[in-house]
Amino acid sequence: MSETVMPDKNSLSNFCMAPDLLLSRSSQTTRSNKTGDWRFVRPVYRDKTAPCSVACPAGEDIPRIEMLAARGQFQAAWDVIMQENPFPAVCGRVCFHPCEGACNRSDFDTPLAIHHVERSIGVHALEKGLTPSTEPAARKKKRIAIVGSGPSGLSAAYFLNRLGYESHVYEAREEAGGLLRWGIPEYRLPRAILAAEISRLEGLGVHVHCKTPVARDILDARDTDHHAVFVGCGHAHYVFPGIQGQELMVDGLEYLRSVRAGTAQDVSGDVAVIGGGNAAIDVARTLIRGHARVYILYRRRIVDMPAFEREREAALVEGLTIMELVAPVAVEAAGNRIRLTVQAMQMSGEDAGDGRARVVPKGDATETLTVDKVVAATGAEADPAWAPSTGAGPGRLNMSHCLFEERGIPIIYGGDLMSPVLSIPHAVMSGKQAAMALDTYFQSGMDAVIPRLEACRIGKGPIVSMETYCQGKARQNNSQAVTFADIKGDMFSVAKRQEPPELSPELRIKSFSPVEACLSRESAVQEAGRCFNCGMCNGCGYCSIFCPEMAVKLGEPNTINLDYCKGCGICVAECPRNAMHLETEAP
Amino acid sequence: MKKVVEGSHAVSEAVRLARVQVISAYPITPQTHIVEALSDYCADGSLDARFICVESEHSAMAAVIGASSGGARTFTATSGQGLAYMHELLHWASGARLPIVMAEVNRALAPGWNIWADQTDSLSQRDTGWIQIYCEDAQEALDTTLMAFRLAEKVNLPVMVILDAFLLSHTFEPVDIPAAKGVDDFLPPFMPQIKLDTSNPYALGQMVGPSAYMEMRHNIQAAMACVPDVLDSIEDNYQQMFLRRYGAVEAIACEDADVVLAVSGSMAGTCRQIIEDLRNAGTKVGMLKVRMFRPFPGDAVRKILQGVPKVAVVDRNCSLGAGGIFAQEIRSELCNLEKRPEVYSYIAGLGGRDVSLNTLEGICRQTLESDAPSHGSVWVL
Repeated sequence: MSETVMPDKNSLSNFCMAPDLLLSRSSQTTRSNKTGDWRFVRPVYRDKTAPCSVACPAGEDIPRIEMLAARGQFQAAWDVIMQENPFPAVCGRVCFHPCEGACNRSDFDTPLAIHHVERSIGVHALEKGLTPSTEPAARKKKRIAIVGSGPSGLSAAYFLNRLGYESHVYEAREEAGGLLRWGIPEYRLPRAILAAEISRLEGLGVHVHCKTPVARDILDARDTDHHAVFVGCGHAHYVFPGIQGQELMVDGLEYLRSVRAGTAQDVSGDVAVIGGGNAAIDVARTLIRGHARVYILYRRRIVDMPAFEREREAALVEGLTIMELVAPVAVEAAGNRIRLTVQAMQMSGEDAGDGRARVVPKGDATETLTVDKVVAATGAEADPAWAPSTGAGPGRLNMSHCLFEERGIPIIYGGDLMSPVLSIPHAVMSGKQAAMALDTYFQSGMDAVIPRLEACRIGKGPIVSMETYCQGKARQNNSQAVTFADIKGDMFSVAKRQEPPELSPELRIKSFSPVEACLSRESAVQEAGRCFNCGMCNGCGYCSIFCPEMAVKLGEPNTINLDYCKGCGICVAECPRNAMHLETEAP
Repeated sequence: MKKVVEGSHAVSEAVRLARVQVISAYPITPQTHIVEALSDYCADGSLDARFICVESEHSAMAAVIGASSGGARTFTATSGQGLAYMHELLHWASGARLPIVMAEVNRALAPGWNIWADQTDSLSQRDTGWIQIYCEDAQEALDTTLMAFRLAEKVNLPVMVILDAFLLSHTFEPVDIPAAKGVDDFLPPFMPQIKLDTSNPYALGQMVGPSAYMEMRHNIQAAMACVPDVLDSIEDNYQQMFLRRYGAVEAIACEDADVVLAVSGSMAGTCRQIIEDLRNAGTKVGMLKVRMFRPFPGDAVRKILQGVPKVAVVDRNCSLGAGGIFAQEIRSELCNLEKRPEVYSYIAGLGGRDVSLNTLEGICRQTLESDAPSHGSVWVL
């Protein structure tokens, strides 16, 4: 090589002198430059509330469940469900999953199949015989009576048991489950699944006394050896429409019950089902499986039906006919058959008072239909013996899912008697709310109940979290729900929603086999991986990757080295799921 | 083995044969085919390299600077605006003495948007400390790329291998692709003299005061000065193994020429033809192909041109406000000669305009008929 000038080495102590190569080099670290001095805002990890969690009537911590499931940690995911809902395998099947309607992923591709993942986790737990990993609270030597073993009663019993109470469920029928056992058809909820989830509750210490009807006297403090009573006896029978000849009609709930009990008589030919709710659909789909031709008569329009759309659509492909805007006015015998007189209805444009449009008769003309059977599924009501009184007054607390009455001992009415929406997860919430209210009552008195429940709310709605109540650390009570605008869509890829195989309509109507299969474990992991985990740190590490000062240390939880964090906010800007924010430094 | 390949893929093939370890690039027409093929090679495993996708050319250069500082053999490619965007880091690459090899496909600078051949993009970077070599055809692009790694790693300076847009990058030609074994013998793995070391942490390129900065610059200039000799010996070696050499410059029929056409890049191919045609018609024309622009091979150019009466430099570029850039360099190399040729400067073919046999013949005749060069460059519009 040609000439190379080598400077005086004494003046160039920092130089590297490879042959013919003059470079500056320093072994001094930049650690002495504490860039944290520059900071006037600091990033903090603060979980927000996911919209699915707010929408979940049972208050499940859905983003955490999905995070754990996506990692294949099904037991941990199941534990998270069990903190809020004792029926993962049941609810994975029968819940109408409003969570999916709220999913932020809807604005990106398709909502997460939350119920399929829940079902898969629930099945996993049953197969492995799992029991909750969390320890129950210390025993409190108080005995609570629960009237009715439906979803609200069993939930109340489970949560009370976890809170340290001795819970006794009294069921008049030969098996526990209430509507789950007798009202929901086998194709939606196999009996074995329900039985397994109930027997797990018994294994945890819940006492279920079947064939043990109780009288209303149990509510009287003088006649009971219980410290409190939860009344979750539900709606015992359907309300007949109050028309001429209605004694010829069959009670829909009684029909479903007889099918589930195996005592139903074969019904074939033409059957008219009166009603537009989920019960009407359940009755119709059950009848279709018994080879009947089924017509639903509904006094409003199809779009006004309270039945879940998905159930209604499934019934239609199975062969149901829905006649809208017709009201039955009389039923009479016609030989071996039944003649049903119906009145055509029309929309009046007025509000019926419940947010729906009022319907009025369209002229005086009536029509007749001749069918083999008429089933009423128009609405259910409680046995008058258990109906709660109405009104307000001292010693009464009206809660969102329960009525709390202090009559010597606390009495709580819950489940379908009180829930704003008649659904399984609302019943679970009712039982949970009752357990929290009773525990607060026993520990701190009546006045403490409402403030304590307020403190456990998820988001801004009435739904409460038992995890928060038990002062767990996973869920912070942050009312800010994450919207799609808060999610960094660029950080995610479009991914196909996993759907399990479904029986064809032709096969479905031949038996009571479950219509939908369960997602395989592999598909459930894949589906859970689609979750944005809105508002929750899932350890993705983007904050650490993007930190220009390498000040983020990943762990559980992540930590930020404030000696070097200069408050640039890049971590917050890059967090894909809004689990971080910037706080102004205290002066 | 001879294969018909696109000019761009001749470069990609050379990069694969060179067993480059890290590639980072951002796509830009007309460079895209080079890196597209390389990403395929990385994906199919035929090249064991890390391909770092980035959001800009600035980042692409930063990524290869990092990888090269860590001791990896690196490659990138760009064109036109992309090269302009890299400008700041081009200085860093040479100042840090990193043997990065970059394929640069000459593309006109906007506005107006133009994706065709024009050397102004690479010549705008002439002061960044990069070695620049302009290629005539696909075979030369492949051979030059392979030699560029040897050269860069020997003198610790980055090398730009330059191809004309489309005329070379997108044209298919038969190319002799050397066997991998032979290339491995020619180009052993990169053994850096210095690299970052996690077991002994230090930073390179730290603050340097007035007491040493100038020595460092002089050190680079000294390395530049020895490039022609180093290239010569590398080419000797290459020729022994693969039977081809090109030189920093190439002279054809200059000894008795009345006029020498000085050209670069793909234009040299057209020039070879016109020289032959004009010689057959009785006109004494010679050709000087300038392959290496930085460092400028002044000694070789002087040796060829002294005694020639007229040189016509055809530039597919323009330093606006001055003129053809190759003409400036040649003029300055000749200015101290006692007996020097007249230097005629022509600007032709900007933005991809065709430089045809007729164009070069016209330049030749105009130079022969002129009494003296005009003051500025003559634009062949």
